[in-house]
Amino acid sequence: MNLNNPVVVWLGAIAVTVLFFYGLDHIIMSMQGLPLNMNLTPAQ
Amino acid sequence: MMKSRELPAGEINKMIRVSSISGPSSSTAKGRDIRFAGSRFGWHKLPWKKLSLHVGLVAILMLAIPLFVAISEPGSTPVLASSDWSGVTQAVAAEAVTPAATPAATTDTAAGDAASKELIPAPQPEAKDYPNIGVSSRSVVWIVAQLHLYFGAFVLAVPIFVLLIEWIGVKTGDSRYEAMAHEFMKISATAYAITSLLGGTLAFALFLLYPDFMGYMMRVFGSQTLVYAALFFSESIVVYLYYYSWDALRYGNAKWAHLTLGLLVNVVGLTLMVMSNAWATFMMAPSGVNEVGAVTGNIWQILKGPLWNALNLHRFIANIAFGGAVVGAYAAYRFLSSKTPEEKAHYDWMGYTANFIAILSFLPLPFAGYYLMAEVYAYSQTMGITAMGGILAWLFIVQAVLIGAILLAGNYYLWSGMSRTEGSERYQGYIKYIAFVLVTSFLVWITPHTLILSPAEIRLLGGANHHILGVFGIMPAKNIAVNLMLIFTFLSFQLFRRADKVAVVSWERAGNALMVTIYAVAVFNVVFAGVYYGYFTNTLYKVGSSVMQVASTLTVIISGIILDTYLYKGARILPSHWGKVTNRSQYALFALPVAFTWLMALMGYVRSSVRTHWHVNNIMRDNSPDNFIPAIGYAGNMMTIVTILFIAMVLFVFWVSTLSEKKQLPPESSGQEVGQ
Repeated sequence: MNLNNPVVVWLGAIAVTVLFFYGLDHIIMSMQGLPLNMNLTPAQ
Repeated sequence: MMKSRELPAGEINKMIRVSSISGPSSSTAKGRDIRFAGSRFGWHKLPWKKLSLHVGLVAILMLAIPLFVAISEPGSTPVLASSDWSGVTQAVAAEAVTPAATPAATTDTAAGDAASKELIPAPQPEAKDYPNIGVSSRSVVWIVAQLHLYFGAFVLAVPIFVLLIEWIGVKTGDSRYEAMAHEFMKISATAYAITSLLGGTLAFALFLLYPDFMGYMMRVFGSQTLVYAALFFSESIVVYLYYYSWDALRYGNAKWAHLTLGLLVNVVGLTLMVMSNAWATFMMAPSGVNEVGAVTGNIWQILKGPLWNALNLHRFIANIAFGGAVVGAYAAYRFLSSKTPEEKAHYDWMGYTANFIAILSFLPLPFAGYYLMAEVYAYSQTMGITAMGGILAWLFIVQAVLIGAILLAGNYYLWSGMSRTEGSERYQGYIKYIAFVLVTSFLVWITPHTLILSPAEIRLLGGANHHILGVFGIMPAKNIAVNLMLIFTFLSFQLFRRADKVAVVSWERAGNALMVTIYAVAVFNVVFAGVYYGYFTNTLYKVGSSVMQVASTLTVIISGIILDTYLYKGARILPSHWGKVTNRSQYALFALPVAFTWLMALMGYVRSSVRTHWHVNNIMRDNSPDNFIPAIGYAGNMMTIVTILFIAMVLFVFWVSTLSEKKQLPPESSGQEVGQ
């Protein structure tokens, strides 16, 4: 992987960050017994 | 003077330089005398470092063990969580004084009688039992208690960051830290006497005006009050030892002894804080007593009420932010009155450090407040709704205005302070966008949900809520606004910190890309969680997703600090011109403590008012003429009076602190003599 290529750097940064926040959201909501419920329907 | 040969010239110069800033109590000659007097006693030969560590460890255990016991001990059952027992309290109280009604009386013999005699219910004073001194008793106690709390918060908080700054000075070898820590401590030590006097006045006022209530509190907390008094003595001793031994214990192992003294100041101070917090939380959510207030538990069960730890955390963080803001005002006061560029540079740097402390400790404060309110709701929904959904709800709009003022002032100081650094032009273009987000979020935060409207106004509005602005009045919108304000305040802070640095690490581009995406995704996460879970799902999700938002904000702050630490390792430092900052930025430093002071009065009023007509919630009824939640207008006047009084007293403390640096010149030789 070429870290001098801006496209690689930015795509890599976005991928890492999105995955991290998705995992964080998932863990936090699971701890409260709530699935993420991302299908935009009213949660039960 | 013989001893001076033992010190290297550089050390002596450093000592002289530091002493010259620290005022006459540490003037060069005096400081040297103390240092050498210490050497004559052979202090430097003692294993100070080892001794310090041992004493420090014992000190930490002093606090840690009781806290651990308090937190881990089971069985601290809160009394009467969610229902109003006012109707039954009197009846149960009547039964409780009858031996047959007590559990102990079910056993036979004298032991049962003895046990039943110990179960004394809380007194239920009538209106005639409250002394009347011609003015509102509540107002007297309100003013004195609030002032005591301000000064208590200040003198307990300052040593926390003074110790940290002193330690940084030791680690970096930069004598400016030493001088600044000493000067901060001088203000705190000056304020300490006022704190004690206000504490004594408060105790007298309470015993005079609320004798039955205080009698009950003394019975509940028993000898713990004497422990508190003993700790107060200890605190006085270590505070003055810490301050006055600054020059005597300055170098080598002796410095570690001094740092240990600082640690002791904080250990004793924090213990005092958590003990007195227990009195307030006992009044709100009593534990360790039965339904009629008879003591059934031990002292830990009484201390460890359901709100105790939440209040401890909230006050601990808030005190540091408040202390930072007040010493920031001191630095601004000194900056504006400085005559020389050196003085201006010193106080500019001091103001910057104080603002750094205030803002950085302020950032997690809303989350600690959220935790406290969550605990209040968990203890009693009625109490929570009284605070945030009833008569007091409007105060949270005022709170938003004050917090917004704090954040805007803090940001303004950072933006203005950038100008002293040559590399700041790289980031100044971002300021307008940060300002836009802050102001927009501020406006959303202060949008009320409901208004007190006439029928005609409701007709004009088309309902109780505005058809567009109404959506901004509920918590999901506020949560988005608060978190965005915190994230963008941290961005200002980060740009300010980066302004004088140029990264030299090879992965700078990747590091910056990561930081930018963390901001972007965190902002998206905060907005998404607030909008989707806040408006389109049920309440459970609405509350649960707020934790996601908090975690996003904390992720930005923590990752920003960590990333910058490594990104700017060995960075090229650009010149900063300390002292070359606008006077306007110093006014922002004045705005911070004023807003903090008012805010503390406001939230203190809310916290205290949730007990409504009870001295001790659901146990001891307030039957005094003031047994109602005061009207908001009246409370606003009280808060303003207390704020003005505190600011006046703090200015007096600042003035007294500077007085010790002034010297009267000897009489002129023109024949004028002293006394003529």
